[in-house]
Amino acid sequence: MNERSTLRTAVNPALVAIVVLLLVYGSVVVRSAVSGMDASDALMRRQLLGIAIGLAGLGAAWAVDYRRLFGWVGPLVIADALLIVSPRIPGLGDTAKGATLWLELAGVRLFQPSEPAKLLFILALAAFIARYKGRIDAPRDVGKVLLVAAIPMTLVVAVGDLGTGLVFVAIAAGMLLLGGLSGRWFAVLGLCAVLLVAGLLGGNEMLNRALERGPYDPAYQAATDKSAVEDTSVLLKRYQINRLLVFVDPGRDPAGAGYNLEQSKIAIGSGELTGKGLRYGTQGNLNFLPERHTDFIFSVLGEELGFVGVLALLGLYLMLLLTSLEISASARDLFGSLIVGGIISMWVFQIFENIGMTVGLMPITGIPLPFMSYGASSMVTNLVAAGMLLSVWARRYA
Amino acid sequence: MPHHRQRLTSRYAVMAAIVLTLLGVLALRLWSVQVISGEAYADQANRNRVRQVSTPAPRGRILDRKGRELVTNRTALAVVAAGRVAEDEELLGRLSALLDVSVIELKEKLRSRKEAALAPRVIAVDVPLATVAYLAEHASDFPDVDVEARAVREYPLGSLAAHVLGYTGEISQADAVQPEFEGYEPTDIVGKAGAERALEKVLQGDHGMRVLEVDASGRQRRVVQEVDPVPGRDVRLTIDARVQKVAEEALLDAIADAKRDKYYKAKAGAAVALDTRTGEVLAMASLPTYEPSAFLGGISQREWRSLTSTESQYPLTNRAIMAQYPPASTFKAFTGLAGLESDKTSQWASYDCQGTWIGMGEQWKKRCWNRTGHGSESFMDGIVNSCDVVFYEIGLAFYKDGRERLQEFAREFGYGQLTGIDLPGEDDGRVPDAAWKKRYNEDYPEYQRWNPGDTVNIVIGQGDLLATPLQVATTYGGIANGGRVMKPHVLERVLGHDGETVLKPEPEVAFEPDVSKANLAIMRTALENVVTQGTAQDAFRGFGVPVAGKTGTAEVAGKDDYAWFVGYAPASKPRYVVAVVLEQGGHGGAVAAPAARQILAALLGEKVVHVTAEDSSR
Repeated sequence: MNERSTLRTAVNPALVAIVVLLLVYGSVVVRSAVSGMDASDALMRRQLLGIAIGLAGLGAAWAVDYRRLFGWVGPLVIADALLIVSPRIPGLGDTAKGATLWLELAGVRLFQPSEPAKLLFILALAAFIARYKGRIDAPRDVGKVLLVAAIPMTLVVAVGDLGTGLVFVAIAAGMLLLGGLSGRWFAVLGLCAVLLVAGLLGGNEMLNRALERGPYDPAYQAATDKSAVEDTSVLLKRYQINRLLVFVDPGRDPAGAGYNLEQSKIAIGSGELTGKGLRYGTQGNLNFLPERHTDFIFSVLGEELGFVGVLALLGLYLMLLLTSLEISASARDLFGSLIVGGIISMWVFQIFENIGMTVGLMPITGIPLPFMSYGASSMVTNLVAAGMLLSVWARRYA
Repeated sequence: MPHHRQRLTSRYAVMAAIVLTLLGVLALRLWSVQVISGEAYADQANRNRVRQVSTPAPRGRILDRKGRELVTNRTALAVVAAGRVAEDEELLGRLSALLDVSVIELKEKLRSRKEAALAPRVIAVDVPLATVAYLAEHASDFPDVDVEARAVREYPLGSLAAHVLGYTGEISQADAVQPEFEGYEPTDIVGKAGAERALEKVLQGDHGMRVLEVDASGRQRRVVQEVDPVPGRDVRLTIDARVQKVAEEALLDAIADAKRDKYYKAKAGAAVALDTRTGEVLAMASLPTYEPSAFLGGISQREWRSLTSTESQYPLTNRAIMAQYPPASTFKAFTGLAGLESDKTSQWASYDCQGTWIGMGEQWKKRCWNRTGHGSESFMDGIVNSCDVVFYEIGLAFYKDGRERLQEFAREFGYGQLTGIDLPGEDDGRVPDAAWKKRYNEDYPEYQRWNPGDTVNIVIGQGDLLATPLQVATTYGGIANGGRVMKPHVLERVLGHDGETVLKPEPEVAFEPDVSKANLAIMRTALENVVTQGTAQDAFRGFGVPVAGKTGTAEVAGKDDYAWFVGYAPASKPRYVVAVVLEQGGHGGAVAAPAARQILAALLGEKVVHVTAEDSSR
């Protein structure tokens, strides 16, 4: 093979182009979102630094032959578990907004371990599922797969990051679909999930009532100012319940937990067809939108660039996902297909959850929008994921 | 192609379907939010960020009749705070120490009404620059506290004419709901007393409007639109600042005179000067007085208490129109006129005063103030000497007549009725009669009968007869003006924004009593003689213009005598009438008449001197 054809084999031009477009689009919107903030230049520098580190990570992931990881299920699961619990190791964690989700060393905030943990989870699960060669039907096999998947999932929920836990569930579901879990089992597992959620909510309520910890109505909390005291809820945190309650009935607490959703919808809706123009979004610049450069970056985009800008982003995402599906389908082995399938599932879920929450389709969680939200941890993770896609693509004939 | 791919085809189809479905759902939802409901959300976004705030209009100035500024506006540095500061005890403590205002008072000022976040409350005005600098340097210690330039009332002549001018303050909750104050806002400054209140509609301008863009915490980001307020109109009062000053000083001199005569309780009094032909009030003074500037930015509790306590003698009361006194001997002019009109006496009717009078029988013996008696005298002499016995006789004749002609006559001149002056809070005085007495003593049947003594008390201006200093002045103005009592007023004209006259009230007749010119002429001659030969001669000795008038010395139960003088000049062609009363000041001729002389001198261009006079009459 000559050099030119090697390059043609190694590079997926569509994916590269889409990622570059997303990076540019995201940077433009983040730039606009932070423009009114005190440290806007510093924030922007950090974001660009995140992209630079992410691109380096992309290159490294691309260069590494993913097949070398095939036999490393055990180490990958252990590494993932350690990463997930690292913020809880004394001296390593930092608490922000009530949850300890940051890794900190010597007082310097490094990153959110839950982000790269998703990729380790994908690799570990892909390596394990690939062993079944595309057919998982025996109860014993299903049990083993679920066990491997359950370890990181349980840990992530245990450290208090329910949102990332849901991403893990989505990843596992997508990979099981691709990995050959039969429809029968999907039905059984789906039913179990519903029962689990219902049991968790009901059990939480019953336990708290039994322990006289007070109801979870936001109005009750506002009236008694219970939110100021320690969250004594047993199974689920109060704010998690509140978000669910508000999702079901956004009008119940417009100034409290429902405020974010209300303001986000106003921002996006007021963008109308063509938007107010970059930096002219009033909801964002006047601080009505909370977390506008991170979790609610899409609301800024919707307000400032309108439905046209929204369609452009959805179009880019559609191309990203379809290109990724093509890469998955053209992988040399099931392991490669599963890795890409896990990444697709991760992206699909995060895109749907993040955009869905800004318009009231989904409950509010702290899940970033891939390639768009401010935040280096997420940016680096997504770029490394793109690198893994290219690694699979580059080796499709090898 | 590796063998696993074929088996996966259907699964990729499922995944692709999921991707398309989810992105499709998002696209549809966003279409609905942005395109279908977009306009509604755009409205909501605007309501979020846009606040309409009204800007106060500068209040019109108040000028005197010559155009001198009595009340104007100036810019003062005010410390303002958002209502929520009231909940921050620590911050309140710091503010209290810095501004020297008690925490309780700060809370009261902050809490007084449900305020929008954008209408900060004034908690102190005229703060020293050092305080402003401190606040600026320690801004982070004082969140939601700002220094703003505010337009406040300024009084270039201090407390001069304070009672006529009145004062301003934030509209009260009770007033805000009155139809009169429709369209006013809860923080509006309105006139609370005096001309400020009476002319509120003229002085108050129209609010301007400001459309602001605010952020989520309610802080202003920029001004989107601004409509300038329309300032209130300037007014000219009939008051002459120079005469007013003389009148106020004359009252202070009168207090000094009273103390000289050992009337140590003299502290309060009033003086009124009117144009007899038009009813214009040239001066209106009341003692004790107050500083209207104390009300700037809301009066402190301490100051309010000191202005309203019993020991304070109520300096906020405009005694010229709100206080009622027995008019004492000043009323004899009306008893006399009534007697002449109803033939109860005549100019040269003769009387004999032996110091005591037993006209109602031995057991109801009454005395003249002159215990040794005036001897044989005419009706004219009775007025000049202020002889009580002459009037007792006239009073008894009225009682025997039984028709209450005396009271009717007094009411025709305006006694017992509002003069209708354009100032708030005027009192109407009292002209007692049989019906009144019956009503007044409803629960005491033994006191309901109208007795000869009641009429005999009225004739000398005592008993249950009460009049305001303004009534005494207007009624004498009626005598001076050929029987037409002009309606007193303080508004000279309303000025337009270019200084042009937009409204000038015409003189109005308030009362037109049925009295003959001949009898008026008799009374005017008698009143002239009072000044040249009678009880006021000492006070007006050497005065360049002939004056006609009457002294009075009122007896008030439990108090020292009240001194009265009322007079007009020039006696032959009257222009001005002046009434002076001094509570517990002693004798009218010794205390009130010299003060009236000073005021008349200022009105007539004579030299203003404070003379020492003697008088022991009533």
